[in-house]
Amino acid sequence: MPTPMLAFAVGVLGILGPWAAPAHAHTSEQAFVLLLPTELYITGGCLAVIVSILVISLTPRQTVQCGLASFPLPLRMPSPMVLRLTSLLAGGLFWALVAIGLFGSRDPLVNALPLVIWTGWWIALYTIAGAVGNPWGALNPWSGLYHLLFGRRGRAPLRLPDGWHCFPALLIMGVFCAFSLADPAPNDPARLARIVAAYWAFTFVGMALFGEKPWLRQCEAFSVLFRLIGLVAPLGYRAGMRIGLWGWQLAETRRVSPDLALFALVILAIGSFDGLKDTFWWLSWIGVNPLEFPGRSAVQLSSLVGMVLSIIALVIGFAFIAWSGAHLANRGSDPEQSVSGFALFCAFAPTLLPIALVYHTSHYLVSFLVDGQYLLAALGDPLARGANLFGLGEIHITTGFLNTKGSVRLIWLSQAFVVVAGHMVSVVVAHHIALSLYPQTRRALLAQVPLGLFVVGYTWFGLWLLAAPRAI
Amino acid sequence: MKHMKGKEPMEPTEPTQKSKHTEKGKPMETTKTSARRLTRRHALGTIGAAAGAILLPKSIARMAHAHSGAPVRLGFQVHRTGIGSSYGRWYERVANAAVARLNDGGGIDGREVVIIPEDDGTDPRRGAEVVERFATGHQCDVVFGALFSHVVISSAPRAGELKIPYFAVSEGHHVASGMLNRYALQPGITDVKSQVQAMAPYVAGNLGKKVTMIYPDFAFGHDHRDYFSAALAAQGGQVLEKIAIPPTETSFTRYFPKIPRDTEVLYHVMVGPAVLTFVKELGEFFGGQGPQLFGFIDSLEAIDLASPGLEFLEGSYLWEGMPRFAQADQSPHEAKYRAAVGVDANGASVSDSRDVSTYAHMFGVWETANIIKKGMEAAHYHGRSDAPALIEAIEGFTEFPLSEDHPQGDKVFNGRTHQVFGHQHISRVEPGGRLLRVHSTTIEETFYPDEVDYTTYPF
Repeated sequence: MPTPMLAFAVGVLGILGPWAAPAHAHTSEQAFVLLLPTELYITGGCLAVIVSILVISLTPRQTVQCGLASFPLPLRMPSPMVLRLTSLLAGGLFWALVAIGLFGSRDPLVNALPLVIWTGWWIALYTIAGAVGNPWGALNPWSGLYHLLFGRRGRAPLRLPDGWHCFPALLIMGVFCAFSLADPAPNDPARLARIVAAYWAFTFVGMALFGEKPWLRQCEAFSVLFRLIGLVAPLGYRAGMRIGLWGWQLAETRRVSPDLALFALVILAIGSFDGLKDTFWWLSWIGVNPLEFPGRSAVQLSSLVGMVLSIIALVIGFAFIAWSGAHLANRGSDPEQSVSGFALFCAFAPTLLPIALVYHTSHYLVSFLVDGQYLLAALGDPLARGANLFGLGEIHITTGFLNTKGSVRLIWLSQAFVVVAGHMVSVVVAHHIALSLYPQTRRALLAQVPLGLFVVGYTWFGLWLLAAPRAI
Repeated sequence: MKHMKGKEPMEPTEPTQKSKHTEKGKPMETTKTSARRLTRRHALGTIGAAAGAILLPKSIARMAHAHSGAPVRLGFQVHRTGIGSSYGRWYERVANAAVARLNDGGGIDGREVVIIPEDDGTDPRRGAEVVERFATGHQCDVVFGALFSHVVISSAPRAGELKIPYFAVSEGHHVASGMLNRYALQPGITDVKSQVQAMAPYVAGNLGKKVTMIYPDFAFGHDHRDYFSAALAAQGGQVLEKIAIPPTETSFTRYFPKIPRDTEVLYHVMVGPAVLTFVKELGEFFGGQGPQLFGFIDSLEAIDLASPGLEFLEGSYLWEGMPRFAQADQSPHEAKYRAAVGVDANGASVSDSRDVSTYAHMFGVWETANIIKKGMEAAHYHGRSDAPALIEAIEGFTEFPLSEDHPQGDKVFNGRTHQVFGHQHISRVEPGGRLLRVHSTTIEETFYPDEVDYTTYPF
């Protein structure tokens, strides 16, 4: 690693430190899940994905293309001035939250900062970005202030090496997820305030030194993340606002650079391990009694190692899928028309983004339903002084919906539906991309065989995670 | 636009001394450039300074030593997140209600009482850190509220080192066993050893003397196995079989054939997400023809007993620290306690009848808060230097009568072991999942010989 890159990595690690995400133990919910016939549900989900693969394979090329077409909307993109204003407002809100984190309640379920960061931003905004459209360009807390201070003519004194691509953002994403998965106290309000303030300052200094766009494009992890996840959404911008079915933007993304392909895989790997690390299966594997869970402090190292191993396993596994798909499709074909395994790797990796999105959404659904109530209560009383803004102060937090079999079944089936739907979107987008890579449908289908097996396997894994007993 | 773009290739340079001095005299464009450079530098400097200020930990000693009239600061160690969060949510609700009542009644010696909550993540290492933050950062007078044993066992030694009174609400035997120190007390909730042994007379006398035990194969289950086996033997009973279930097990049918045919009572203390599966499979295995079932509400705390799958529990018996359902003879003190905490007659939240509380345990938070008040007033407590006096005052307590301060019932406090003893209850599951109390033990039945005398320990 070149010295500047190494220094950068060390700097990022030093600033972000170790991070964490929302997690709640709801024994009753899991107890009811174990009473559900989840084996049947899992089999049904996998069969649905297999059927979707068969159906899309038999669907005429033009129909597939029509299905992923997009349509212009009679809406104009907000002007840059409006976007800067919203960013400025988001920046003001951000610093107000940092102040609340530092000086407000020490209770992570009363203090607005951890609730907004983990429930409002990490769970909800991530889901909105993928399910509706990416709002991060209007809500990032840096751009407004950047333009206010430096203006459009403020030329950056330094230049980011093009060869770095998005790898700095990938590194920061890894550090963020390590914090989310392994840190003992990710919800501690004051600590979280210092960490997010440090990341804000780090990013703003980076923007000031290297320019807004290069920094946000290459180094700011969440701009890259939301941009990628936003490609799954029905709303997108292509010379105007357009709308289509989920995945149409991915289908239109002809060429994806290796760094972004890797980014997509890392998101999925980390999201998968996030679900896996709490299961009885994983805990027994690392020798931890789930009924006497010794706390996040005791499993820090195993969580970090597991996260890294998950990334390595998925990247290697997916490389094999791409290589074997290319091998199958290229057999007996004109070498000039063959597609390399590397090209297929880069082309197919973004088709995993819908899966990453639905893993995220389903994994955090229960946390969102509970912590969302705390978030509303905190917004009604942001300084925790007994205020009752918008009438939200009268909210009584409840987890009663996790105490009955009917509501638990409804929640579980909703999670499963989202997981299966995400895999189906992935199947359709992958088929569309394969058709664009291979002029012959037969070769396009052969190239997808390993990927199809992988997607069915991942459907099973995602549903199994929802059904598996967990410690936290 | 074009004009502005045309300026971009200019390489910015460090502003020189000259440019600073001659800023006003420069042509407009140059002045703007200099100003822009300065703005960038100044902006970065300002951000750096602000970031530095934020990144610095808050001053540890920001509050002077408590003086007369200053609020009494109760450090509330709460399992807000992690494996204990279901308990933590209710413990917090009770703590807030208890302190609101204290303040409505004039506080402690006329001083307002404030709660400083800190989430320990149900994590032993964080527990010790939280105690340190209470003692040195928040300048709390005492710490209370931890439930999970491994957190208490990790936190109490740090409290002893920092000389801050530490009140566990854990029902673990670790306080009375002598494992901890003089600063650790458990005056608000009884311990598991006394609870388990007090069950033996009723079980042997009413349900049967031949018992098979099914328990999770770790410390929690082992405590039940050891305490109950000894207590049952003293009653002339016998444990026929001890079936230890691996903690990660989620299906139990293959263990049931190990239950001896002549078993009269099946004692079960399964915990964790598989507990409903256990009950369901047990019911299916015996088909209503099996032995009497006796268990601990810990297995089903905060779970609605009217849930589908739990009908097999009908007619079985459960230990309860405090009966979840309001009984016909419920004391007016308990009724007030329920109202203050916001719990209905079925033990659920008044705002959501499905939101079942951790009723059998959470009274300990309420009673501990009241004992802290009583102790501070008896010790004429003014500040942390009076901590030894506070502990000595509490060590001098012997009885807590049934009252609004002690709605669970009257209790006997053992100052030598720092542990309280009280009535235990056995309830039967009625149709519809209602729990009917069928027996209450005497306090004497919960006694066991002292295993430590903390009063001989130095402060």
